[in-house]
Amino acid sequence: MNSDPDGDPYGDRVRELFANPAHSGDIEGAIPVLVEDQGVRVALVANREDDLIATLRFRAWGCPHLIAAAEAFCADYEGQAWSRLEDFRAQEVMQSLPVPTRKMGRILVLEDAARSLGQSDRQRSIEDTD
Amino acid sequence: MSTHTTMVYLDYAASTPVDPRVIETMAGLLSRDGDFANPSSNHMAGRRSRDHVERAGEQLAALLNCRSRDLIWTSGATESDNLAIAGAAHFRADRGKHLVTMSTEHKAVTDVFHALAKRGFDVTWLHPRETGVLDLAELEDAIRDDTQLVSIMHVNNETGVIQDIERIGEICRGKDVLLHVDAAQSVGKLPLDLAALPVDLMSMTAHKFYGPKGIGALYIADRPGCHVEPLIFGGGQQRGLRPGTLPAQLIAGIGRAAEIAHEEMTANLGHLHALRDRMWGGIRDVAGILRNGDAASSFAGHLNVSIEDIEGESLLLALEPLCVATGSACNSTNQEPSYVLRALGRSDRLAQSAIRFSFGRPTTEGEVDFAAERYRGAVNRLRELAPGHAA
Repeated sequence: MNSDPDGDPYGDRVRELFANPAHSGDIEGAIPVLVEDQGVRVALVANREDDLIATLRFRAWGCPHLIAAAEAFCADYEGQAWSRLEDFRAQEVMQSLPVPTRKMGRILVLEDAARSLGQSDRQRSIEDTD
Repeated sequence: MSTHTTMVYLDYAASTPVDPRVIETMAGLLSRDGDFANPSSNHMAGRRSRDHVERAGEQLAALLNCRSRDLIWTSGATESDNLAIAGAAHFRADRGKHLVTMSTEHKAVTDVFHALAKRGFDVTWLHPRETGVLDLAELEDAIRDDTQLVSIMHVNNETGVIQDIERIGEICRGKDVLLHVDAAQSVGKLPLDLAALPVDLMSMTAHKFYGPKGIGALYIADRPGCHVEPLIFGGGQQRGLRPGTLPAQLIAGIGRAAEIAHEEMTANLGHLHALRDRMWGGIRDVAGILRNGDAASSFAGHLNVSIEDIEGESLLLALEPLCVATGSACNSTNQEPSYVLRALGRSDRLAQSAIRFSFGRPTTEGEVDFAAERYRGAVNRLRELAPGHAA
């Protein structure tokens, strides 16, 4: 069946994050955003305290690179300013892990989910103000 | 509970370790103190080396119940497939240019047919039933007056499904068409009697039955109209059909591996049956699991399963330290689901989730139990990670 003439497609960091996704799961009472595209699914959910991301969790259905990228994103962004969610770019995590360029479409789904999460809270804030 | 901190190898359909008895035989042909000489040389050392080559031919011929002079040494099954298909197609091209094969053949076969199609040959591709088995009526209908060659593999490398090469051969003989069989997955594992089987050309390779990599053979039946044109030239060895210095140590290796396989086949088959049934028994109740290929007509050494709503690449990584094969080609630009499983009617997603467990002589029940446990655990973990999972 399969064989990969280019050798191991995963680096040590991808393997570590895939094996130990400490930020996977749900947050009780919080509603996740779900983005499905490119044959993968990513859900993100967060707790906001003041202007900070207090807790950030993910669920993902896709390849090991996507799961590792989601874990890396959550670990990096937890504790940061909420406004940064919309600034997240797939390239950041693709370079740091790294993720092969051919998988960019899948990592862009994570980017879309991060942006949707940032915007969803802003939408809720507008609704609360109204 | 069984635990393994080191890898557990269940990919014997891809390759097998060389049997220590084979290594011992080969070691006698490598060094200055051994029979290392060129077997084509006429001096004493050459003759000693040639004796090993001749002995290996007899050992492999005994396994297949054929004559050793009907065997051509090659570098492996891929070369044998190329020599058989392209060689026979060109040899018989003046009679007709129609060829027949199956969509589920190994790439070593399908790519040769694609290449021949570009060179003016007309290829008919037969698709299997959902079980993976060829519909013999479709084969009969596909053979035309200008058909020269049919190529059907014996045991499918992905699913383990066994084709009825005896009936296929009878159909081909009845229509004066050559039959080539890619038997890379069955030589040394299943009984094959070439004196009785109506097979004209058969490909095989040593590393699938505990011999070394880099050596295989092509059987060419000694009957009118059955011949191949060579693909390479120079030296005149092997009646010019496959010239080049014979690798005596590798040939001695395949010979010894064939001898061992012949002696131990019945016991090995029983061992493989027990392991496959144990593996399937350990995972068959996992939600959404599907067995690929007809269980009743599959080789005991293979178990191929797909699973609903699991991503295949993640499953393969989550299964480590299990060494198994997956149903996708991760090396390609896009993840291509197995064309073999797609031909059996599996969706892209199910084909991509496929895992092939393949067992061998050294496989233990403990390894199989570990594999089943690991599979169940990996599926549970990936499902827990997926959006929509109820915590």
